[in-house]
Amino acid sequence: MRVDVEMSGGSPKLLERKQAVYRNLDERYEIHGEKYKGQQYSHIYFTRLHYMRNLLYSLVPKWKPNLPVNTVLGLEEEKECIIVGTIYKHMKLKPSILDEYSKERSKVPLAKPHNFVHPDDHLILEDESGRVKLAGSLLDPSAFVTGIVVALHGKETSEGKFFVLDMLEAGLPPQIKQPPSLTEDKFVVFVSGLSIGSSTFNPLQFQLLVDHITGHLGDENEQTFASQIVHFIIAGNSVQILQGLLNGQTIAPRDQSTLTEPIKELDILLNQLAAAMPVDIMPGPSDPANFSLPQQPLNRCLFPGASAYNTFISSTNPHQFELDDIQFLGTSGQNIDDLFKYSEAKNKLEFMERTLRWRHLVPTAPNTLGCFPFTDRDPFLIESCPHVYFVGNQDKYETTLLRGSDNQSVRLICIPKFCETGVAVMLNLRNLECHALSFSTSLNV
Amino acid sequence: MASVGIGGFYRQKKRGEVAKPTPKRSGTGKSAAVALSFTDPDQSPVLGAIAEHGKTASAVAFEEERLRQFDLDMRYGPCLGLSRMERWDRAAAMGLNPPADVEAILLKSSAAAADCHWEGRI
Repeated sequence: MRVDVEMSGGSPKLLERKQAVYRNLDERYEIHGEKYKGQQYSHIYFTRLHYMRNLLYSLVPKWKPNLPVNTVLGLEEEKECIIVGTIYKHMKLKPSILDEYSKERSKVPLAKPHNFVHPDDHLILEDESGRVKLAGSLLDPSAFVTGIVVALHGKETSEGKFFVLDMLEAGLPPQIKQPPSLTEDKFVVFVSGLSIGSSTFNPLQFQLLVDHITGHLGDENEQTFASQIVHFIIAGNSVQILQGLLNGQTIAPRDQSTLTEPIKELDILLNQLAAAMPVDIMPGPSDPANFSLPQQPLNRCLFPGASAYNTFISSTNPHQFELDDIQFLGTSGQNIDDLFKYSEAKNKLEFMERTLRWRHLVPTAPNTLGCFPFTDRDPFLIESCPHVYFVGNQDKYETTLLRGSDNQSVRLICIPKFCETGVAVMLNLRNLECHALSFSTSLNV
Repeated sequence: MASVGIGGFYRQKKRGEVAKPTPKRSGTGKSAAVALSFTDPDQSPVLGAIAEHGKTASAVAFEEERLRQFDLDMRYGPCLGLSRMERWDRAAAMGLNPPADVEAILLKSSAAAADCHWEGRI
């Protein structure tokens, strides 16, 4: 892809955009004709427990070599041992469908809280043989959610609870060694939460971003900089369709255009982007894709203009890919937002770190986050550590470099909503450093 | 006026009713961990029914029984929502070493109880 540059008094110089080798690894998140036969979610939990338990059994001898490993059923009173199972967090404020039928309405608060954590929440450990309540002050329930698998060292008390002395998480998965650093700077741009069609969308702001990235703005320096951008990722929530139109009533023909306007506008913008560089678009909670995770790629029919380019890639959510042998893994934000609702941490990056340590991308699925009832696998298990882990649709831009005990290093990125902040994120593939790209259209800064 | 007892034509106990199995409790009685044991023949309602009807263990009943035991074995995961062959394949793929004789029975008869024991009942 070439960008023409007009030099002062001279023939136009051609700048070539750099390229990176891209490999899409979304196959594990695609539903390959799997049919829903009425199965329940017990199968996902079973496969999750099986995989994580084997993993933890291999780690336990190094952690506490002399203790016996039991199932929940095999617990004996006052005998120290190790048990492995799935955590269930009993939450007082967690909304339940049965509340609608309960006679006493006073328990249900009128205003919906954003966060359902309560001091009375307690944890329970469960495996196929049974479940046991966890006691002791080592584990703070506000840091845990239902669905993670851990190993616990402790003993059964006379009350029948399990007093926890120590806990083992799976920890960061092993990482494929990062290739030797590239000699030249190559950038990847992340953006999310465009929300085209909503009242907060500013078309000029996004057009500025598109023009800057495709090299239509700025002088030679700016354009050289733009030519180093090799890939563009849109991490969800690209359109927002007015909620009032989606209540199932038939819409008059003149109103039907309001449904399709946002997507047409998005297609025009994607067209400009796809003509310049490879673009990945991921579905998000407000996009026209399926609701439950893993969200399937947005249909190419929605983008008649952009899908003509082979640089346009419609991907799943979560999205996993490789650029120049650097592993990327990311979601449109549902996993972290759900953790935010049901647990506490000092910032979103800490939630992301926890998902890596628990080796599960979406631990709260299927408990509080919808997901497809797989019968033979759990595709959200993280088997190898990515080099870059990104989450879209967050409130602000945050990033950190996480180091693991086994020489892993992961760049964690929270991508803010573009419609609210005007911030896109640029990542340098050479050294995995990140910075923000901020666009503003207001004249009085 | 119903003065005569209606027990004669109004059955008060189902024909061939089998007592429900009680779950086994683990050693300490106060333990909050409740055991679920389905593989013990004395507790299984199915075997009880066979015994009560006085069927001799013909080959078909034996195979049915073997398949039911496979269904209720906790090690291979939940049985609802999968056909028996799929569940066997899943167990094999996960490295759980499901019994080979069950595979032999499943491969032999095509229609033989493709769905698990509880299918349609729960």
